[in-house]
Amino acid sequence: MATRKAGGYRNLTGYAFISPFLIGFFGLTVIPVAMTLYLSFTDYNMLRPPEWIGLEHYERMFTKDEKFWHSLRVTFFYTFTAVPLRLIVALAIAMLVAKIVRGAGFYRTVLYLPSIIGGSVAVAVMWRQLFGLEGAINTILKWLGLSGVSWLGDPKYAIWTLILLYGWQFGSSMLIFLAGLKNIPNDYYEAASVDGAGSVTMFFRITLPLLTPVILFNVVIQLINGFLAFTPAYVIFGDGRPLGATLMYVLYLFQNAFTFFDMGYASGMAWVLLVIVGLLTALIFKSSEYWVHYESKGDR
Amino acid sequence: MFTVLLALMLALTAVLSACGGKSDNGGTNAANSNTAGRSENGGGSNAGSGSEGSGGGDAPKPVTLKVLWWGGQTRHDNTLKIIELYQQQNPHVTIEPEFTGFDGYWEKLSAMVAGNNTPDVLQMNFGEYLTQYAKNDVLADLNPFVESGIIDTSKLDAGIMESGVVDGKLLGIPLGMNALTVIYDPELIKQAGAQEPALGWTWDDFKAIARTVHQNLGIYGSPTLEANNILEYYARQNDQKFFSDDGTGVGFDDQIFIDYFNMQVELIKEGVMPSLDVMQQHSALEDQLIVHGKAPFDVRWSNQVVALAKAANRPLKLTVLPGPNTEKGLFLKPAMFFSVAKDSKNAEEAAKFINFFVNSLEVEEIQKGERGVPINAEIREAISKQLDEVQKNMFDYIDLAAANSSPIDTNYPVGSAEVLNLLGTDIEDRILFAEMSPEDGAAKFREQTADILARKR
Repeated sequence: MATRKAGGYRNLTGYAFISPFLIGFFGLTVIPVAMTLYLSFTDYNMLRPPEWIGLEHYERMFTKDEKFWHSLRVTFFYTFTAVPLRLIVALAIAMLVAKIVRGAGFYRTVLYLPSIIGGSVAVAVMWRQLFGLEGAINTILKWLGLSGVSWLGDPKYAIWTLILLYGWQFGSSMLIFLAGLKNIPNDYYEAASVDGAGSVTMFFRITLPLLTPVILFNVVIQLINGFLAFTPAYVIFGDGRPLGATLMYVLYLFQNAFTFFDMGYASGMAWVLLVIVGLLTALIFKSSEYWVHYESKGDR
Repeated sequence: MFTVLLALMLALTAVLSACGGKSDNGGTNAANSNTAGRSENGGGSNAGSGSEGSGGGDAPKPVTLKVLWWGGQTRHDNTLKIIELYQQQNPHVTIEPEFTGFDGYWEKLSAMVAGNNTPDVLQMNFGEYLTQYAKNDVLADLNPFVESGIIDTSKLDAGIMESGVVDGKLLGIPLGMNALTVIYDPELIKQAGAQEPALGWTWDDFKAIARTVHQNLGIYGSPTLEANNILEYYARQNDQKFFSDDGTGVGFDDQIFIDYFNMQVELIKEGVMPSLDVMQQHSALEDQLIVHGKAPFDVRWSNQVVALAKAANRPLKLTVLPGPNTEKGLFLKPAMFFSVAKDSKNAEEAAKFINFFVNSLEVEEIQKGERGVPINAEIREAISKQLDEVQKNMFDYIDLAAANSSPIDTNYPVGSAEVLNLLGTDIEDRILFAEMSPEDGAAKFREQTADILARKR
């Protein structure tokens, strides 16, 4: 009896120590998320109490709302172009940085910078300048004898400016790749070179397979980030222009919530996004059995 | 199952951390405004002199008013100075200021309303916002304060005061006014050998000048026009309204919509107006074609003229929009209101503060038309002597517009923000990018507007 009581206190102490997390997790995460699920079945404009309308929002989303489908298409295209771009750039740069001995810290910091200033308004302004009609990119194209392009104004190109911006902010993925690269024992490469393997073969036979756990992690994190992209589209293009080419899913969700004051619909959209991202992530984890190599099989 | 759960958890954390950033910003803002509030209060209590409010013999009991507005840094600085001045003159009043940019303002306000924490005095916007807040019964009727003389409306422009009335209740006092205006570069028009526009000009004159400038100077004749602002004028000059009176749909004929867009489609084809992708590159106010001398015209709200003229850094003139029937189409618009919360415990003190705001020259001497041209004629007159050339032009234009306009249409339905978004970022772009004919655009706009408004009722 006494021991059980003591155990109870011990548990209580434990809970007290993690209470900052628990309070945050329940107060700021679980409860609000549960509430959005409820709100998604209501008509709610923030001024009046929510009014239950059942599945109406979801019905409109899936059957009537062209913009919903359009924004989904834009976001899928963006994610499945921008994420591979970022990962390839990050891996390439990580491999270069791994070779640098002197001043490695400096390069790492400088290359990480774009990720920190990522969604800031300053970057948006810079991007508009770079890709403007008379901006740096078009000027360089002209030197090369190519004609300039209306990057920001033409619906065909606008999304690419955002994809490039996402690719440019490769810092965090790069650092994770770098750590992964450092974990590959040098013996493997030495042994391979003794056997006469070239650098391309070594990359595909040693580096890539041994990096797969890190790649898996990066793919999952970046995929989620890609679907949640909002700030760059919002600060560079604002309202999804030109012709809705930059109307990201989360931007449209934001418009519904804070421009059209339709919190119920926005909550519904958030849940659809959650399910999509959840399913994709699950799919990737499931598929990882076939392509991710763990060095010690026993762990798995 | 575990993987699905894990995936959901990961996704959840990521989604939430994205949202977390948002609320952090809100927190910072609130913290800022609190600090500002404290220093302002200090200023107020130190200065004990000054005339009392309308307190009579007894010392009035101390009250605290919460005042909320949106704006840029200039407006924040000005308003804090005005509040300090008011506290000096009314030592029993302590004002807690809160302010943000326009982005984020409505989120903040609706959160405050939802939390039963509506500010006593709050800045309100004309159109769908006023309708929305009126419909949800958040704002106090100020008529009793006008009747009892606490708010003195004798010098205020009666036409513009109408814009704050919803269903017979006076829900906001306009703080300034704007009007649509055509800004033009007299020098470019002269160089091209065309005639300067003047009162009584028409859309045909507009097209003729634009074509002449384009042909003779090799620049654009005009930027494309923003349907969100100008289509309403166009409907009004043809004796119609943007929204139908019952608030269920578009208030004008398809032909109006078609004529309005055909004019631009034609001018874009001729190269007189730029294609839309060029326009998108010039979206910032300081970056308009007229600023760079690439077109002789621009059509804007009058309060944006000051920034535009400063960026252009050469003399620009203002005139009314092209006719026929300019006086039917043109209207004065309240730049913003001050409203009082319905559940405010100090509604009378709030009303006194608003009266001070619109009826004291000292207030306008601080803000100099930053909230739009004053609606008090005497103050407008007195202050215009203290203005620079550009500001004076704007004030003169408002006088011209006041004499050549009709009252604003106040029948904006609740869903109008979504309707304007549909027009301004979707249908207009498709027509001007030549992906859709004006006829199809008209039909689509009518159909989708009816859908949106039916949903938002």
